[in-house]
Amino acid sequence: MIYSSELIKGTLKTIVLKLLADNKKMYGYEITQRVKELTFDKIQITEGALYPSLHSLEADGLVTTETEFIGKRVRKYYSLSATGKTKTKEKVSELADFMETMKFLLDIKTNTA
Amino acid sequence: MYQLNEQQIDYILNDIGARGVEMESLQQNLLDHICCIIENNLEENGDFESFYKKTIQTFYKDALWEIEEETLQLLTNKNYYKMKKIMIYSGTLSVAGFIAGSIFKIMHWPGASAILLLSMLNISLIFLPLLFILKTREVSAMKDKLMIAIGTIFGILFSTSSLFKIFHWPGANLMWLFALGILMFVFIPIYFFSGIRTPETKVNTIITSIILISAGGMLFTLTSLKPSTKFYIGKTYNYLQGEELITRMQLIKNDTTNQNPEMINISKEILENCKKIKEIIIIDGIGIKSIPKDFETKDIILQESGLGKEFDPAASGMEMIQKLKKQINSYNTLVNRNKQLPIDNNIERMEKMELIRISNYNLLNSLTEIQLFILQNEKGLMLN
Repeated sequence: MIYSSELIKGTLKTIVLKLLADNKKMYGYEITQRVKELTFDKIQITEGALYPSLHSLEADGLVTTETEFIGKRVRKYYSLSATGKTKTKEKVSELADFMETMKFLLDIKTNTA
Repeated sequence: MYQLNEQQIDYILNDIGARGVEMESLQQNLLDHICCIIENNLEENGDFESFYKKTIQTFYKDALWEIEEETLQLLTNKNYYKMKKIMIYSGTLSVAGFIAGSIFKIMHWPGASAILLLSMLNISLIFLPLLFILKTREVSAMKDKLMIAIGTIFGILFSTSSLFKIFHWPGANLMWLFALGILMFVFIPIYFFSGIRTPETKVNTIITSIILISAGGMLFTLTSLKPSTKFYIGKTYNYLQGEELITRMQLIKNDTTNQNPEMINISKEILENCKKIKEIIIIDGIGIKSIPKDFETKDIILQESGLGKEFDPAASGMEMIQKLKKQINSYNTLVNRNKQLPIDNNIERMEKMELIRISNYNLLNSLTEIQLFILQNEKGLMLN
């Protein structure tokens, strides 16, 4: 099953921030591949969602970029800034809290014992 | 694994640009991304072009530029609330500033000009541009966006021209007329004809248009009701003529007979004092110390008006007038009867605080006459 893009939209920034926290620096393609790998293809981040989010994170000062030339093309590596690091913790705990609330709200039983 | 060559990379980059992605950093991101996909998934002797076309299609729903649009949307939306807040604050602040500044100006309190200047700058540089940015985002039709743009241009022109007028900077009138022209001949017609077509907005549009036209018309009348500037141009030439006469007379050699040092001294003081008072009057009128000879082409017109706050009781200009009066009195005790300065009516009236009856041009002329009397004696142009 592949999750719908609406579900991913609200959590995409958190996913990207957490990945960068764990991997120091990453480029766009690498991020999509890593997410695919870690979720066994269940979450597939589209290019149309990823790059706008990355640009927005950069504008917010949460990530910094460095460029590397690969032949004729340029690869942009993203890494967390100092504020990005604290923001990541906030965002992850917010999402965890949100998931707990959703479980309760939608009456999802995790332990079917 | 496929190996991309330089031509293929250029081809992809050009294609991304041709599909409407203009942001350079986004272009580079997408280019690298596509290259990675191709290099990882295409077999060594695969068909580059068809694989590329298939891949790029997975990036979007309808068109590739959606990604750029989404990016811009995210980048600007982030500031939306901040911008709205700043807009409301700056709007409130400038309204308060206008009211306070006007009261200060009427009461001749210090700081009026500074308050008005700040409010005007605030409204034309912060409030109106923000209003434009935020409002255009709310409407989708090109026509509506255009209307907001024209309205904003009118607002900025209108407030800057008012600012120019208050500070007597050149070009105020032209800007003022231009702003009114935009309002009357561009904004109102577009507003009227676009609003009248839909039944729900018909009545409102007609009423608002009538109010706008009458307000604009009244402003227009106010502009043309002002006494013609030609009138002041003539007065300014008269004044400059007098100044020229003073300059030429100063070139004549002093009369060395019959002059005691005390009188030479006091003559100098009176001339100097007159010159300084003139500067105060002119600065108050046009913001600079003297009227340039080419004032007409530069559109720097000294309009006839009452004397400024420098001539209020105990203000610096008034003190100089009182000093001048004393200087004239002591001068008169030093010279023959036929060389004495006649008592100037305007200076007398100023002493009695009848300021309202004296205009800036009246006082300038009086001062010029005093200077000419002094010079006439100094240069020995009067028979003893």
